[in-house]
Amino acid sequence: MTTMTGTSSDSMWEVTTRTIVYAAIGAALYAVAAQFSFLLPGTANVSLRPGFALVTFFGFAFGPVAGLFVGLVGNALADQISGWGLMTSWNWSVANGLAGLIAGVWAASMMRGSNRLVSAAVGSAVAVIVGFLFVFTDIWLGTAESFSVALSDNYLPVVISNVIVAGILTPILVAAWEPMRASMGR
Amino acid sequence: MNVAPRYLGRGSWLSRRDPRLLILVLVCYVFAAVQVWDLRILAPMATLAFLYYQSARIPWRAVRANWAYVAFFISFIVVVNTLITGGELRGFAEEDLHIYFRLPLIHTPISAEMLSYAGAQLLRFGSMAAMGFPIAFAIAPGDIGPTFARLLVPYKFAYALDLTFRFIPSMAADMQTTMDAQRIRGYEWDRVPGGPIGRMRRLGPLLVPVTINAIVGAEDTIDAMDLRGFGTGKRTWLRELAYGRTDWVVLAAAVTLLVTVTALSLAGLTRLWVPDLLISLAR
Repeated sequence: MTTMTGTSSDSMWEVTTRTIVYAAIGAALYAVAAQFSFLLPGTANVSLRPGFALVTFFGFAFGPVAGLFVGLVGNALADQISGWGLMTSWNWSVANGLAGLIAGVWAASMMRGSNRLVSAAVGSAVAVIVGFLFVFTDIWLGTAESFSVALSDNYLPVVISNVIVAGILTPILVAAWEPMRASMGR
Repeated sequence: MNVAPRYLGRGSWLSRRDPRLLILVLVCYVFAAVQVWDLRILAPMATLAFLYYQSARIPWRAVRANWAYVAFFISFIVVVNTLITGGELRGFAEEDLHIYFRLPLIHTPISAEMLSYAGAQLLRFGSMAAMGFPIAFAIAPGDIGPTFARLLVPYKFAYALDLTFRFIPSMAADMQTTMDAQRIRGYEWDRVPGGPIGRMRRLGPLLVPVTINAIVGAEDTIDAMDLRGFGTGKRTWLRELAYGRTDWVVLAAAVTLLVTVTALSLAGLTRLWVPDLLISLAR
């Protein structure tokens, strides 16, 4: 089973009933929490979604598969609910999924010892910075006309905002979940 | 807060199609549209997309807020892209542009090429959104799981998708209940100082209880699935899906569109095209 202690990285790709249900819950929560989005001032199409912290949190707590699903499906549904469409910005959903996946891998391999909250914040930042490189596909898709637009208008704003979101909210969620997990015997 | 899936296209021509068709047609369309900048190709494609959308008979009143959101975002994409890129549009150097005037302060040239580019962006994203709407509003929510399972998505993930759609209304209700409870304690999310970061930090008292409560509550669902042997063998679905003759015709048309556009793109025939009328206005 995948845990936040990182002691069972060999089974982190296992898809159990628990993975399925938690992934579905995370995706639904992310989609619902997207109503608290607001457009980042000065950007073309980047919404600040505080609910993004759920992507990295579910990656940390339930493994890379759950993180991938929460980011990929949750973002697509959030786009759908807001009206943008399920697949209109499919590459951004993939980027969200990659961030969740990287967070899950980080949790399984790096989160050891007593500084788990710090590790969650650092891991979130790494997951966002690496995962969201995928939004440069906007150049190919035509959403961003050039590399400079993709960098200054899409990548940097979303990375900065998501690093702040995940850096603040993910450790809070991890801190709240850790004692619950222990009491549930997970 | 009503974010539950709405089956607004019930009974329409599109809702009677095999739901897999709606997914596949959208995929074909999106990958075709992203290759095209020529308005002469995009215009008929967009017309087809909006006819397709019309066949879902989604009431305008029910989705006008969604369309307003789409219009706002597309406008933003178009305006910012054109303002930032300035003179370099889709391979056009600034000296090749047919310039009408320059914007004050930033000196971005407003040209015939820029207007064509803006028109192409509007058609691309508008038509992609139109093709995506029927997935949300013309597929019965209960068909989501079998649809993806029959599209060769592993059944566990198809089931997770199905569960996600089922969880959305209850998660929204939990979120609203928690927000109401927190407001009684003086909580406000959007009327606090501190700008975006302040608003983000204020989401903690809402997000944490809802998330932890949802995870703890999920144990019942997990137990129920485990007790029924979920994951021990290949899963079957009660809902049978079968392509009809019309479905095959529509699917063939979508694949033909994708193949044709890809061939045109490889031949260099889908690049930005500027109408003579717009060029003549610059003289």
